[in-house]
Amino acid sequence: MTIDPQNVAPETPEEAAHTGTLIASIALKQRAGGIVVPVLTALLAFLIGGLVVLATGHNPISAYNDIFDGAGLNWIFHPTTNVVNTAAYNLSQTLLQTTTLILTGLAVAFAFRCGMFNIGGQGQYFIGLYVANWLGHDFPGMSPFPHIVLCIGAATLAGAAWAGIAGFLKAAVGAHEVISTIMLNWIAIWIGEWLFGDGGPLQNHANATAPISNDIATSAQLPVFWGQQQLQGLHIGFFIALVALVVFYLILNRTTLGYEVRAVGFNPEAAAYGGINVKKNLVAAMAISGAFAGLAGALDMVGYLYHYGQSDIPVSAVGFLGIAVALLGRNTAVGVGIGALLFGALLFGTTHGLQAGASSIDPSLASNLTYIIQGLIVLFVGADVLILYIWNTRKKLRIRPKAATA
Amino acid sequence: MTEWAQRLDNPLSARLRDPMATGYTGLLLGAFAAFLAIPPIEARSKTWPILVGIVAAALGIWTVTRGRKRLGYGAVAAGVIGIALGILATYSGETNLNAVFDATLIAQMFAFSTPLVFGAIAGMFSERSGVVNIGLEGMMLMGAFWGVYGADTGGSWIVGLVVGMASGGLLALVYAYFAIHLRADQIVGGTAVNFLALGITGYFFFQLYHGNYVSSGVSTIPNINIPWIKHTHFLGPAIGHLNLMVWAGFVLVIVSYIVVFKTPIGLRIRACGEHPRAADTVGINVYLVRYGCVVLSGLLAAAGGVYLSDGFGGGTFNDNMTEGRGFIALAAMIFGNWRPFGAFSAALLFGFSSALALKLQIYSASAATLFNALPYVLTLIAVAGVIGRTVPPAADGKPYRKQ
Amino acid sequence: MATEELVLEMRGVRKEFPGIVANDDVSLDVRRGEVHALLGENGAGKSTLMNILYGLYKADAGEIRLSGKPVVFNSARDAIEAGIGMVHQHFMLIPVMTVAENIVLGMEPSRDGIFLDESGAEARVKEISEQFGLLVDPSALVSDITVGQEQRVEILKALYRGADLLILDEPTAVLTPQEAGELFEIIRSLKADGKSIIFISHKLNEVLEIADRITVLRRGKKIETVLRQGATEESLARAMVGREVLLRVEKAPAQPGDVLLSVKDLHVLDERGIPKVRGVSFDVRAGEIVGIAGVDGNGQTELIDAITGLRKAESGSIAVAGVEVTDPSARRMLDVGVGHIPEDRQRRGLVLEFSISENIALHDYAIPPDAKWGWLFPARMIDRARRLISEFDVRGGGPLTRAGGLSGGNQQKVVAAREIARDPKVLIAAQPTRGLDVGAIEYLHRRIVAERDEGRAVLLVSLELDEILSLSDRTLVIYEGEIVGDHTGEVSEEQIGLEMLGGREKAVA
Repeated sequence: MTIDPQNVAPETPEEAAHTGTLIASIALKQRAGGIVVPVLTALLAFLIGGLVVLATGHNPISAYNDIFDGAGLNWIFHPTTNVVNTAAYNLSQTLLQTTTLILTGLAVAFAFRCGMFNIGGQGQYFIGLYVANWLGHDFPGMSPFPHIVLCIGAATLAGAAWAGIAGFLKAAVGAHEVISTIMLNWIAIWIGEWLFGDGGPLQNHANATAPISNDIATSAQLPVFWGQQQLQGLHIGFFIALVALVVFYLILNRTTLGYEVRAVGFNPEAAAYGGINVKKNLVAAMAISGAFAGLAGALDMVGYLYHYGQSDIPVSAVGFLGIAVALLGRNTAVGVGIGALLFGALLFGTTHGLQAGASSIDPSLASNLTYIIQGLIVLFVGADVLILYIWNTRKKLRIRPKAATA
Repeated sequence: MTEWAQRLDNPLSARLRDPMATGYTGLLLGAFAAFLAIPPIEARSKTWPILVGIVAAALGIWTVTRGRKRLGYGAVAAGVIGIALGILATYSGETNLNAVFDATLIAQMFAFSTPLVFGAIAGMFSERSGVVNIGLEGMMLMGAFWGVYGADTGGSWIVGLVVGMASGGLLALVYAYFAIHLRADQIVGGTAVNFLALGITGYFFFQLYHGNYVSSGVSTIPNINIPWIKHTHFLGPAIGHLNLMVWAGFVLVIVSYIVVFKTPIGLRIRACGEHPRAADTVGINVYLVRYGCVVLSGLLAAAGGVYLSDGFGGGTFNDNMTEGRGFIALAAMIFGNWRPFGAFSAALLFGFSSALALKLQIYSASAATLFNALPYVLTLIAVAGVIGRTVPPAADGKPYRKQ
Repeated sequence: MATEELVLEMRGVRKEFPGIVANDDVSLDVRRGEVHALLGENGAGKSTLMNILYGLYKADAGEIRLSGKPVVFNSARDAIEAGIGMVHQHFMLIPVMTVAENIVLGMEPSRDGIFLDESGAEARVKEISEQFGLLVDPSALVSDITVGQEQRVEILKALYRGADLLILDEPTAVLTPQEAGELFEIIRSLKADGKSIIFISHKLNEVLEIADRITVLRRGKKIETVLRQGATEESLARAMVGREVLLRVEKAPAQPGDVLLSVKDLHVLDERGIPKVRGVSFDVRAGEIVGIAGVDGNGQTELIDAITGLRKAESGSIAVAGVEVTDPSARRMLDVGVGHIPEDRQRRGLVLEFSISENIALHDYAIPPDAKWGWLFPARMIDRARRLISEFDVRGGGPLTRAGGLSGGNQQKVVAAREIARDPKVLIAAQPTRGLDVGAIEYLHRRIVAERDEGRAVLLVSLELDEILSLSDRTLVIYEGEIVGDHTGEVSEEQIGLEMLGGREKAVA
């Protein structure tokens, strides 16, 4: 009988790194604590955020309460579809943000399932948004349905192509996707500044001095089903996002492509042994990720923004929030949905949902609280050992399960 | 070796791949890019100078990776300058040209590149010890805000510098704990650091200053007036009164080079980044070295941030003030191949392109804006092309587990 | 030359790992100026014993004395300070640094207390290297020097730190014969200088050439310590392998049929570009088990990788059922009917995060019945998995159980079930029972014989000689990338043991 090498600590960091991909370690944690760990992670982040609020002389409980109301989550106590009701209106706005975050979350999650970290969701989102704005404005004579399909379809493909660059570079020359997606983000940002800025190709034709885009034609605008179009009502893109969650689940779990992507993500060596083309899957997974983000940009443009300003670009963080959404949601469809709702509520509840003066925390403080909570959540999710510690403590409390025998 | 690299080793293309040939071709193409737009060729579109210039820069990078660094960087610079001149020439006559290429362009290049120099050197220390630091942006942002706060409340820019650097170091310490002790994924951790810094600075900026201004009369980092130069014709405006931190940046680069490559400490830092197990077996405390380097990284990145708000910015702060400079610094570090002078050169190049972008607004705000994307495009080309040649420290980003 | 003075005494050392006793009451003593060989099969406990001596593991029981004084090591650093140096089989060198930098790392000479004294370091390295005849250029980059030179750098590293007792862990495994000869010269010069050396090896001829005394370990126990004088290759091989055979498999005589796998003049390189398979040719017929015996690292991995399309061969041909496969890839070899139980089931054989049913589908997920038009039918995958789980007696979970949650034996049954259920013409089993318990080993052995009787051609590669001998109808011996032995029917262990250890090079063509 010989010593099983699996019982012996790896000799070198290279070996240690080989024993598990990032997604494999996250999957390990997912198993470790089940639903408890992400909930604990979020609670801990809110707790520390609350301490910051407390330390700066505000009441964290009433602050969180106001944010809860600001996000319209109090709507469940008095459900109504009438948006004259503040809670109903706030909820519709929260869901508007949720729509975007579902898709940017999926953009991060899909690449994750293939073992890659797509930090480029923000850039892919912008590219989708630009393309949707361009096509939405430049083909004013079209009938609504084909026009909307054109805008959304082309923007989705553009997002896929943009992310595909990073996937291709990784597959072809091994360039790390984190570095290339960061670079692609900033290139996309500057392209936007150029497009909408003074003299840019998409800059408002009617007002040559405003650094803002044209409005898209009415034929390219998505129907609103809750609220009023002029008041930024909830558009049917919300359902497209829900469908995207289902599509995400189906691609991963019900298609051969998804099978390959997951195999490559968990263990590229075993995937290659199984006869899977690893490089092809890296490109495909990145492109699909980008498609989700591009779709997010398109839906925002044709759903409620209709135009975009140069000054909106640096403020937008939905692509980055997607990282927190995906990590908190453990890169699963249901998790991303819940994570998107949480961050959607935070995003709206800490800004426009809050009434300056009337609430116990100023929107300017609260919106930054969102970033702090987001940062803490991402920080905690990344820490294997912390979570595994919780898992091991839990295991010690249980009766040891009977070891499986051969 | 990847298939891609094998294909490039095809003997048919061997002569074309000779670094001398590619380097000189790059230089020539760079020059050509500039002349495309002026008589006698007079291409009306900006596309051609840009395309030719990018090809020139790409050839230059290729040459660098093949060992002919000086020639290669020359070709990169020629490409970039070619693009700039080409675009310029499509717009204008001689008077405008003089307005762009004057001595203040040099001063602005230094002003723009200084935060990048600090950030890139900061990143280099962290990554040389084996910890990837994409949280540079956040650490810089912390320095920017708390630096101004320190200068404002402490009454002196020195206090500001100390407070700002300490804030970056503190954030780096938190990051180090997660990255080193808890062995968290370093990319995820670094991303978290950026979010945290954005939230913390934004929160306290509003809490302490109501989000709109920092009271005037804040003590700012002084400029250094060099008496015998400042009134000269060209050198005066170019380097006659640069900010103290610009000069500090120069010193930092030289000191960093000496520390990393000429001292026992540097040898140990590099050992931890290349092969931590080997370092451990000869009795080096890998965790201690990495903690030190990450915290140093935070201190330096924050110093770059302090310069941004309390030097360059004249004692102001605004939300997300760093605007991605931490990422350009990261890019400069990669572009400079994890070496102090390499990072410095890349930071100067990127600073120059920012300065030029500002100047180019005389002609076209639109083109000037797009010009800002150049550092990122160059870095993207660099990471795509240099793989297998210029490489990060072998253990960069890999948590170390003690035996 | 060796004196009677003991520099090292290890007494009653015991070390247990979960489920296994790696060292059981092992004693070892080393004299000043002695070369003491430590001989044993893979897993005999040599590395564990040395890692205890070097402070990397803590012994559960036993005592270590250096020059008569009891010592306790908590880390490698303690061992280094006590004058012990270890040259690992995998070198601990930094390729991008110079030889001198690697050697002085951690104990750097400095100028003015600040600057690294490069020239001083190089001079010191030169001095030591000349003293012991370890010639190497101190200013060269480690990435530019040969493997033999790297080894010298490792030895210099230990000497620079004042080591009196050097542990060389299979030092010749990575060397060419010429380099090995040079290494022996170095060892003799170290010995002459009063240094003591523990020399770990598999290779009998080398041990007999260089060692003063030889200690043989087997299954964690010390078998004997003998003087070189009087020891023979035969006596050492017998002590190493032992006489008892634990596992015997009932099997009928083979009925070989057509040639299903034919390998001709295969040459394969490893990742570093070193030739590992050098002109291997053999046939495997239907209804026959061909076993390849050999010590780890003699080209088995590269050979199997080439046959299964996971690694490109430099030259040579592979034919399956009479048809030559011209462009082998993993997919291609699967399609022509090669099943492969890989040597590392956790790293390659399974996606641990996948369920059993998903793992069983690893080769055929894209074709009916598992999928059609790119759409998966998990229910069908689960049905098949359920069938195979009962057929192969996989315990510890159902089709949806995560593979990583199974015990090693059951994981291996999942791999075997997948490979066999595809009805391959050729079944390649690489170390199919490594690290498994006796029950699982028996099961897999019976199964492999059953598949032979089904008419498959079975190629078995194992480091366990017992396994090869009890299963194979024909036994090939691989040594340094070449087939050096070919036996049909009964053959003595000692004969094969000798060939495996290079005792008789190219005994049979």
